[in-house]
Amino acid sequence: MTSTHPSMPRAIAPPRAPMTERRRETIATVVVVTGLVILMEVLSRFVPDYVMPSPGTVLKAAREIFFSDTSHVFITLARLTAAVAASMLLGLMLGLVMGMKPKLRPYLRSLVVIDTGIPALSWMLIAVFWFRDPEVRIFFILCVIIIPFYALNIYDGIRALPKELIDMIESFRPSRWHVMRYLIIPHIVPYVFLTTKSVIGYAIRMVVFAELVASAAGIGSRMNLAQSTFRIDQVFAWTFFLVALNIVLQVAISAIEKVALKWRPEVSVR
Amino acid sequence: MIQDIAMIKSAAQAAHPPSVRLHQVYKAFGGKTVVDDLSIDVAHGEIVALLGRTGAGKSTVLNLVLGTLTPDSGTVRVAGLDPNANFLGLRGKLAVSFQTDRLLPWRTAVENVELGLLILGRSKEEARATALSWLERVKLGDAADKYAHELSGGMRQRVSLARALAVDPEIVLLDESFSQLDHVTSRALRADFHRIAREFSKTCLLVTHRIEDALDMADRVLVLGAPARIQLELTLTDGQRRDEQLRARLHDEIAAALGGEEHPTDPG
Ligand SMILES: Nc1ncnc2c1ncn2[C@@H]1O[C@H](COP(=O)(O)OP(=O)(O)OP(=O)(O)O)[C@@H](O)[C@H]1O
Ligand SMILES: [Mg+2]
Repeated sequence: MTSTHPSMPRAIAPPRAPMTERRRETIATVVVVTGLVILMEVLSRFVPDYVMPSPGTVLKAAREIFFSDTSHVFITLARLTAAVAASMLLGLMLGLVMGMKPKLRPYLRSLVVIDTGIPALSWMLIAVFWFRDPEVRIFFILCVIIIPFYALNIYDGIRALPKELIDMIESFRPSRWHVMRYLIIPHIVPYVFLTTKSVIGYAIRMVVFAELVASAAGIGSRMNLAQSTFRIDQVFAWTFFLVALNIVLQVAISAIEKVALKWRPEVSVR
Repeated sequence: MIQDIAMIKSAAQAAHPPSVRLHQVYKAFGGKTVVDDLSIDVAHGEIVALLGRTGAGKSTVLNLVLGTLTPDSGTVRVAGLDPNANFLGLRGKLAVSFQTDRLLPWRTAVENVELGLLILGRSKEEARATALSWLERVKLGDAADKYAHELSGGMRQRVSLARALAVDPEIVLLDESFSQLDHVTSRALRADFHRIAREFSKTCLLVTHRIEDALDMADRVLVLGAPARIQLELTLTDGQRRDEQLRARLHDEIAAALGGEEHPTDPG
């Protein structure tokens, strides 16, 4: 008697999806970028080209660089990756030791805190004295700057480990390795992502700076060259690439994070 | 009948030393006495319930047995070993379901149940198969791949129970494992647990504030006052626990020892 009609349209239409936070952010970014481009264009009409080039000139320079200097971008990226990876590993180990060896903790902590107080510029100058090879110089500079971020955040992460979970896993009488494998490492992963995201923009700026001081290849050295040949359009073009690189890396890290931390509930704070 | 039990008890005790023994245990936190001169022997295969009001020190007793706390004075022995000094010696012999579920948030339900098995060195496949069968037992077969935050409080508690039982421990400690569940689920699970405990002659120390839980499962009920010290001790056979009249009497007796009637709406 009663029959269902699967083909019949539903009485209530599904509600329209509200504008997501992400979409709103994208729109805002487009608006701001357009505004900046227009501002550049307007300014370039009133001042000489070597002060403010027009967006058209910058675009041309960017195209030129993109094809002629691709290798320099990759050199910079490789240096960045190597240094961030090494810092992550060393910082992780330092943070773990600080979190798990109370006797060593105060010594390591003060070492790290002193390090954070040393200006990047000092490290750059010191690196020039200490190392001959420019690759070693850049690697060293980036590591000493980035390691403390990882070390301190990982240490904070270990301190935030709930006692209840420690007692739970200990009730199974695990080895140290089990505790590491099943409790500490998974607990720390979000902290590693957080640190990487917050450090990557700084690391890009620092690698370029270090290249400017210490190397004949990479984005920093090319910017140095552009400056000394009065090519402000190229300086702008490189700057544009650096900003884009930062955004691309942030998006990439967030994407990896989303997969790695799929267990986390979606939270939204109103 | 009471004499019968006594005889069975002493026979069991002769064959096995007590699985859990607390002898004149005293524990204080910052000057506040929480466990006061407590002595408990739990025989091999015996199910003992610790009943007490909130704050009586029940969880503290459990932590002493577990070895995560040490007594200020007195001795604690589990399977003949000091659970704190001989921490690794008890691997696989002891398992707990805590008062809070304590699931690892980055592991799914089945992966949480696997935890103890992996620590015991079982292969991945074996651990998975055992964990899944235990999830079935606690009626969570279709929630195996859900993360902790996707489960309800009662479901999480059942995962926690499965995690403890999956390692097939000789001694099981349960802290309010049935208190958060609705009456139907709770009763079914208690019956199931009781059957399993008997079948595999597990030694159990159950902590609860619900008289019902104790009367449903325990061979012996210890009523604790605050600080933890035995106020009343009574024994119960499986036949006796089905006798409604006797149960009602014991219920009242325990309630009186607890100092006032049980709050039936206590959320646990
Ligand atoms: N680690 C600790 N440090 C200080 N005080 C504690 C600690 N653990 C427990 N206590 C205190 O000991 C007393 C007993 O706590 P316990 O958790 O053993 O009670 P309980 O009988 O399990 O209560 P409930 O039924 O509410 O779980 C409480 O007054 C509590 O404040
Ligand atoms: Mg408790």
